[in-house]
Amino acid sequence: MPITFMQQFHFVVLPYLVMLIFFLGTIFRYRKAPYTYSSLSSQFLENERHFWGLVPFHYGIVTVLAGHVVAFLLPRQILAWNSQPLRLYILEITALVAGLLAIVGLVGSIVRRLTFSKVRTVTNTFDWIVLSLLLFQLLSGVYVAVFHPWGSAWFSAAISPYLWSLVRFNPDLNYIAMLPIGVKVHIIMAYVIIGIAPFTRLVHILVVPNPYLWRRPQVVRWYRAPKEVA
Amino acid sequence: MSRLRLSIILPLLLGFLCSVAVAQQTDTFFQQNCTSCHTIGGGRLTGPDLKDATKRKERAWLEKFIQAPKAVIDSGDPYALQLQQESRGIVMPAVPGVTPQMAKALVDLIEAESALPKSRFAGAAISDRPFTPANVALGMEILRGERKLSQGGAACISCHTIGTLRGMGGGRLGPDLTLVWERLGGRKAIGAWLTNPLTPTMQAVYRNHRLQNEEIFPLLAVFDEAARTSLPADSGAQVNFFLAGFAGLCGALGLMGWIWRGRFTNVRRNLVRKSRGVE
Repeated sequence: MPITFMQQFHFVVLPYLVMLIFFLGTIFRYRKAPYTYSSLSSQFLENERHFWGLVPFHYGIVTVLAGHVVAFLLPRQILAWNSQPLRLYILEITALVAGLLAIVGLVGSIVRRLTFSKVRTVTNTFDWIVLSLLLFQLLSGVYVAVFHPWGSAWFSAAISPYLWSLVRFNPDLNYIAMLPIGVKVHIIMAYVIIGIAPFTRLVHILVVPNPYLWRRPQVVRWYRAPKEVA
Repeated sequence: MSRLRLSIILPLLLGFLCSVAVAQQTDTFFQQNCTSCHTIGGGRLTGPDLKDATKRKERAWLEKFIQAPKAVIDSGDPYALQLQQESRGIVMPAVPGVTPQMAKALVDLIEAESALPKSRFAGAAISDRPFTPANVALGMEILRGERKLSQGGAACISCHTIGTLRGMGGGRLGPDLTLVWERLGGRKAIGAWLTNPLTPTMQAVYRNHRLQNEEIFPLLAVFDEAARTSLPADSGAQVNFFLAGFAGLCGALGLMGWIWRGRFTNVRRNLVRKSRGVE
């Protein structure tokens, strides 16, 4: 099957373009506006619904992303793990649960931002674009997982070699040229999200305060004298 | 005199080397792109046996068909429609890299190989012996990935399902293999396909991990049995998979609520209530 111009654009030009934008954009923003490098949390404005958005979303999305990264870096090991169907099913169900958790959390976050006026006030247009793209990406990911299983196996066999061909600056589109449209849309949207990340709150991924996980607990006490009540 | 001799020999030598290179390129091209569906003198696979194709149809037509099979079929050409009918309705895919020069070289190759008593492209050596239950069992192990492919290729279950698979079935990226035996035309045709897969994805994935004859034979046994004893896989496995994921979701949400049951909620509301003296 001949590789079309649109395939060349979506699966060769676009990934290189978005990676360039990502690296230059994140560095430029860090140098010019370092204090905007944050998730700009709105937890302080509303803490009740926040939990059911933030926690399921982050546990879900981190698991799903970690799965994609491992399949990219260690495809042979994933295929070896999948060599027992039971293990394959466990891996796939775990990934599906994580994807559904992320969707529930993201929908919770969107509803919260729509229904609480204070939170809506601090939500800008880029936030809505990011939330919409993430929701679309998660829904397409679950669609692919359910209707085109088993993603962990074929990602390792076909998508990983394609991505490595990009890394080696020798793109080979034969791996993905015939994949179903749902899979292609999922890949293209991933590139788009990487491309817009430097201009959104998504940059907080790069400054996650990981040491919080292992540092000693800190007790915060106020030494200010309480205000006298008149 | 020696310069004159060189001026004659050198172009001849270059011409000879170029023709050898083109012939080698054509051989490789034919091997990689045509042998999944065609033999030269080995009988019909998914597509017709190409032996003496130039005697059955004129060269110009063959070159045109090789470059754009679907376009010729769509034009209503009676011979192209007959070929499609004989191939159970399967349309020959357009193969990337077939230039007019390559099409001509391929027809030359077919003509030259047809003149030989036995062509190199007479087909894969797949045994004719009957399949046994042990072959089927081994084939299922290979298909499920429990028996590793000797060249390290991905297991069939990664992308394909088949009616005889239990549990949550196989992958759905590629077609269901339950009726592949009839679809592609039996032992020899599927054997040739597995020896040299034609679809771009399979070609890329198995390019450096070729299936061996001792792996292909048990897989053929599985396909034969599935075609005789099973119906194509239904969507039940996918529904079970989604329900398992949904159950896991409910469990995970319940677990999160339980783990963080002591979290601060209504902090501000509680403070306001306290400040108003309501305990």
